[in-house]
Amino acid sequence: MAPHKATAPFFIMASQKTLVLGLGNTILGDDGIGIRVVREIRKTWAGHPQIELVEASLAGMVLLDVITGFDKVIVVDAIMTADLNPAGFVYELTLDDLGEVLLPYASHALDLKTTIELGKRLGYKMPATVQICAIKIEENTLFTEALTPPVEHVVPILAERLIRELSSLNPS
Amino acid sequence: MGKRISINPVTRLEGHGKIEIFLNDQGDVEDAYFQVTELRGFERFCLGRPVEEMPRIVPNICGVCPTPHNMASTKALDKVYGVEPTVTAKLIRQLQYNAFYVEDHFIHFFFLGGPDFVVGPNADPAERNILGVIQKVGMEIAGKVIEVRKRCRDILRLLGSKAPHPEGGLPGGVSRGITEEERVTIKETADYAVEFAKFALQLFKNVVVRNPEYLDLVLNDAYNLNTYYMGMVDENKCVNFYDGNIRVVNPEGKERALFDPQFYTDHIAEWVEPWTYIRLTYLKVLGWQGLKEGYGSSLYRVGPLARLNASKGMATPEAQAEYEEMYAILGNKPAHNTLAFHWARLIEALQAAEDMQRIAGDPALTSKDIRNMNLRLTKKGIGCVEAARGTLIHHYETDDKGLLTKANLIVATQHNAAPICLSVKKAAQGFIKGGEAKEGLLNMVEMAFRAYDPCLGCATHTLPGTMPFEVVLRDRQGNVVERISRGL
Repeated sequence: MAPHKATAPFFIMASQKTLVLGLGNTILGDDGIGIRVVREIRKTWAGHPQIELVEASLAGMVLLDVITGFDKVIVVDAIMTADLNPAGFVYELTLDDLGEVLLPYASHALDLKTTIELGKRLGYKMPATVQICAIKIEENTLFTEALTPPVEHVVPILAERLIRELSSLNPS
Repeated sequence: MGKRISINPVTRLEGHGKIEIFLNDQGDVEDAYFQVTELRGFERFCLGRPVEEMPRIVPNICGVCPTPHNMASTKALDKVYGVEPTVTAKLIRQLQYNAFYVEDHFIHFFFLGGPDFVVGPNADPAERNILGVIQKVGMEIAGKVIEVRKRCRDILRLLGSKAPHPEGGLPGGVSRGITEEERVTIKETADYAVEFAKFALQLFKNVVVRNPEYLDLVLNDAYNLNTYYMGMVDENKCVNFYDGNIRVVNPEGKERALFDPQFYTDHIAEWVEPWTYIRLTYLKVLGWQGLKEGYGSSLYRVGPLARLNASKGMATPEAQAEYEEMYAILGNKPAHNTLAFHWARLIEALQAAEDMQRIAGDPALTSKDIRNMNLRLTKKGIGCVEAARGTLIHHYETDDKGLLTKANLIVATQHNAAPICLSVKKAAQGFIKGGEAKEGLLNMVEMAFRAYDPCLGCATHTLPGTMPFEVVLRDRQGNVVERISRGL
């Protein structure tokens, strides 16, 4: 399944620090998709001094440690949704798409929006821009290291798209 | 017509769980169930792997308590390879473990359970969370919570290469020693943690214990549950998180069992119920007696209050003084007050911090003798630790090449699963009457199980998206009678 419509490539100011954060649990099947995409990016992309790639099996408040100090964060992660889109569908989301968040699910699984709000209130430098690439999955309670075919299919496509976007630099 | 109330999903908990409350025709609570979605296929996934991979794999089971899984796994490896860790290795492991306890317990109190007390159970739900706590106690204190957490994580990162997912875990020792320079930082962190622990206990006593309304809540029968208690103890029968024997006391506090964890199958049995995926545990010698408390029950609880109940005291002096004060105020040992889990949690954090001071001062900490290499494959190992939430057991068996043929885990929340159902039911009975299910009342029910700090072996790391919270009341025909929602 092809990813969702391509967004306009975002431009990275030379002084801006960007984090590409792949989240997931690689022993729970498709849950590990975020980490797999970031690993795929690493394979073929030369890198950039202002851009950091991180793979993390983390959630909630621990993410404060990871995202502090960056101007922009691109999160790549699995998502489960109730709509009819198939597994492998890629959603382009912002924090505003994540809904009301003043009821934290749990301190260790605080959603990203509350974590960032918490960071701001505590005076940490939080990213001004958060872009979320969320890949739809259907199952994440079965122990396996393999991705299902529709989700596996998305890995190189999404990695390539993100590399194209990361490679666009605004020199001014 | 009977009605059913659902709380789904459960707020401020790790993992995916659901509470179903069934009302009778009078609108009073008839039954309550705590249902868990279990992670599946763990044993199958592990079969055939080299057993020494397990400390690396198991931290991924749970993003909340990876350190206890890593530690239990490593101790199981000690047994699989018939090897005793060196003195220095044990100190380093305990240091890592205590640092995790300090951090985990404080996070739970201030961010998870604390909001119920510090901000108030009847406060607006939009405030009754960590952001509300910061508002109420002030930025400086919130900053200290984050700081103590950061310092402990720095230690975890030092010893386990990255927090919260520790890597490493070797039979017979540890992979990394400590330098004299690091000892200094460790001592500073330990001192900071002790001071903060004492402050947190003072805060709890000022805000909760000295407030008659809160104290009433703690002592309220709706939050009382008469069960057995289980916890790990040292040779003096004092609370120990890392190593020792398992002690079980009955609801009157008499010792019922004291056993080496190697023999856990003689004492702990698992029971399957159709309405939940979690395997419930009970005391084997008493047989499964169903979901009941008190006389005739075979259920036991684990975790902070249970550990204190199952012990003869704390292992460090300042924690011991707090232990004595707590029981004096609660009026009974064992204390059956579920909300006192929060209090016990803070006392444990103090012990963990004091123990870090002891380790930081031990000359053997910086020795280079960090690994015992006399490995001899025995093909079976059981590793047991007290996870923050309760007794954790990892049981591995291998073939002649050291490849796994069997892996069984009993996690803390399994031990507490049946008591959680009972606690939820009792709280529901106390606060939901005549079919009335107001917002504050529902939170009272959630408070019952949040005290256990249950961890549902979650598949974390998926973006939560929107968090619908809806209570659906249905009649016996399944028709929706009423919907109550929040956060939508």
